[in-house]
Amino acid sequence: MNRSLVILLGVLALGAAIFAGSYFVSQRACAITRSADDLSWLRDEFHLNDAEMARVRLLHEGYMPQCAKMCALIAAKNAEVQAALGSGTNVTAEAQQKLTELGELRAQCQAQMLRHFIAVSQAMPPEAGRRYLAEMKKLTLGSHEEIEQSMSDHNGHEHGTN
Amino acid sequence: MKENMNPDPGSNRGSAEASDTRFREVLRAARPSPSLPPRFQENVWRRIEDAEAPVKSGSWIDALIALVLRPRFAYATVATLMLAGVLLGTYQGAQNVKQTEQARYLAAVAPDSLR
Repeated sequence: MNRSLVILLGVLALGAAIFAGSYFVSQRACAITRSADDLSWLRDEFHLNDAEMARVRLLHEGYMPQCAKMCALIAAKNAEVQAALGSGTNVTAEAQQKLTELGELRAQCQAQMLRHFIAVSQAMPPEAGRRYLAEMKKLTLGSHEEIEQSMSDHNGHEHGTN
Repeated sequence: MKENMNPDPGSNRGSAEASDTRFREVLRAARPSPSLPPRFQENVWRRIEDAEAPVKSGSWIDALIALVLRPRFAYATVATLMLAGVLLGTYQGAQNVKQTEQARYLAAVAPDSLR
């Protein structure tokens, strides 16, 4: 191979190595600085000060036991649904009833979650609160809308029109 | 001792020069120089000019390498690459941290079963 070409390739490889090394070291350095606090995202994303963080933390700590209780209820109801469905190929009346109860529990849990989000948004400065609430609605309820939208778009099938 | 006693050293030097000239003529006749090839002088000058001319690059790769390997350019390139890597890595790292922290908060307040 031409000597000049070898030198050029070597220079390019060295440049790529320098860039890649700097990139990965910086990325790792950022990852190391990551906080272990569940609420660190709120502080960073919505620029909350200590007083606002203290209010949000209080609400968060009050909400967590309620959330855990709801989760336990949903998990138990889910187990009942699975048991009612068993290995059969039909949806029995009992299974239908359990599914309805599971849906109601999820709705209650979602309502409780939304109330918590609203309370947290009110503990923030107005603009940050609006942005937080919109973001949380999108992240928690938006996925359902996306799924429903994708289902209605699929093969022209639309729910609620037939 | 004999030369030192000579009253006229100038005449002695004159005869030595004459003898020297004659010696050269004899020597030249004994060893005739070969005839020069045609356009010898022109060729010599051309070779001298070529040797003094700056080295020309064979191709664009040679020109590029000559540019890249210049110390000032090389240091500047290394510094630029490092800076670009650090900036991009920091930005990407910050985005990753943000996503991870957001996911952790969501996992805490909104279990997967509700999303």
